[in-house]
Amino acid sequence: MTGMAAPVIPRTDANLTEAARAFRDKTAVAGVGLTLGKFPERTALSLAIEAFKLALDDSGLKRDDIDGLITLSFGSDYDRFLEATGLNVRYAHQGWTHGRFISPTLQFAAMAVGMGMAKAVAIVNGKRGKAFGQPTDIEMWRQGLGPHGESPAYGALRPAFGAAISAQRYFHLYGGSNDDLGPICVAFRKHARMNPIAVRRDPMTLDDYRRSPWIVAPLRLLDCCQINDGGSCIIVTSAERARDCRKTPALISGMQGVHAGPDYHNLALPGLGVAQQNVYNYTPSADDLYSYRMAGITHKDVDALITYDAFSPLVLFALERFGFCGPGEAREFVKNGRIELGGELPVNTSGGLLSEGHLSGWNLLIEAVRQTRGECGERQVKNAEVVQYGCFLGESLIFRRAS
Amino acid sequence: MKPSMQRIDEATGRYLPVIYPEELPYWEALKQRRLELQRCKSCAKVWYPIGPACPHCLGLEFDWSLMSGRGIIHNFVVYHKAWTPWLEKRVPYAVIQVELEEGPRLTTNLLNCPVDKICIGMRVEAAFEDVTDEITLLQFQPNTG
Repeated sequence: MTGMAAPVIPRTDANLTEAARAFRDKTAVAGVGLTLGKFPERTALSLAIEAFKLALDDSGLKRDDIDGLITLSFGSDYDRFLEATGLNVRYAHQGWTHGRFISPTLQFAAMAVGMGMAKAVAIVNGKRGKAFGQPTDIEMWRQGLGPHGESPAYGALRPAFGAAISAQRYFHLYGGSNDDLGPICVAFRKHARMNPIAVRRDPMTLDDYRRSPWIVAPLRLLDCCQINDGGSCIIVTSAERARDCRKTPALISGMQGVHAGPDYHNLALPGLGVAQQNVYNYTPSADDLYSYRMAGITHKDVDALITYDAFSPLVLFALERFGFCGPGEAREFVKNGRIELGGELPVNTSGGLLSEGHLSGWNLLIEAVRQTRGECGERQVKNAEVVQYGCFLGESLIFRRAS
Repeated sequence: MKPSMQRIDEATGRYLPVIYPEELPYWEALKQRRLELQRCKSCAKVWYPIGPACPHCLGLEFDWSLMSGRGIIHNFVVYHKAWTPWLEKRVPYAVIQVELEEGPRLTTNLLNCPVDKICIGMRVEAAFEDVTDEITLLQFQPNTG
């Protein structure tokens, strides 16, 4: 999967606007900062500021080079963060920047830079598994069932519900069972053992996996991530400016948003028939592959895939979402080391949310940047030039190593 | 009956449904052992979850329409972990998604059936569980008829 052919974009591609063609490789990630673990004595603000400093150091930029800020809608708010860091910006935004909305948030930052609204945008996230004085798990009380289908009155609690009920339909339609998820968990644990900051680093075999207790069948404990404390920061600037920074720029080549609606139930692949989803064999349409066309690539050019794996079945769904394999084929695709380092398509080289830890997902995007730069040491994908962050709901970012 | 934002039954520790004003006819019907959902006056389709517009045609006019109460188990999971003390006494318990004859899929529990007997495609019928003096919850049970 290595070796970039010269991108060919068909002239007849009506959806790909002139602006999108011009945007390819024009913005970049110039700096990242990450802490992950247990910090019982730290506030979200303190974790956010540490990550911000780490990302500044990583990029070589100074505090006052940053004129844009995006923060998470819980934890450290944008105004307090700016007050605490003595920073004034001309582009501040705060939103739902966790989980499925992390890559759209990075896309906002790239667009703000591309439109000249800011020269360098820092996306900062300080997170405690349980925040001081703030409620946790409020999403399951949303009107008309929670975002993962939660329905507390029926004991359908926690996001694990959405993942379990999606996996059940997948196995019903395509065959297989929970046993098919083991290779995913084992592969990511192998990767985590090469990652000094990973939270879960004990060795894991398929037998260990099969002994893991049921949580919400068909999911076991080891199919579920754990939530951590920590901080993350990603700095986005123009490709031109990023070339003057300390590290190799991770160019933003292509991007596409979260696909949503009744056919895109959260934590499901389209077509599974979860909640009100239609039942069909999903294969990607042109719209599902927009980020590839924007980047001038196909899935065959992707050297590593980083994907949202709060629960192991989501990896199966992502592989089929972007056509790495056909409907129902992912459960075979993940076997025999194919998604491990050295395999045909290394996936979640940091250990993913399942084994590295879960910092609202931001640690995944940081791994994608680090793989693109080629700085992952023992777990580096050799000659990685194109790294995709692509998830089961269709959101995608294509990073390309600057030459 | 009134809207209810009470999330936990203080007496039992059980999670209660949050009842929004526009859902009151649904909850009042359940109390009288009837399953009623919204049917669009424009396209005649039924929808769920309960909402102010028809998701098929965006029509705003609807009737509360009596459902057959019959359906099949379209999907299910089994909870082994109990997240609240009330649920500790109930694990393992199933959460099912029933596809009604009329089309919509509803998330409920399955009464009167051991969890290891549950399968996709099983025929079920509506059942009604009084969870407080005010609130009756829709449930399903095997349809043996």
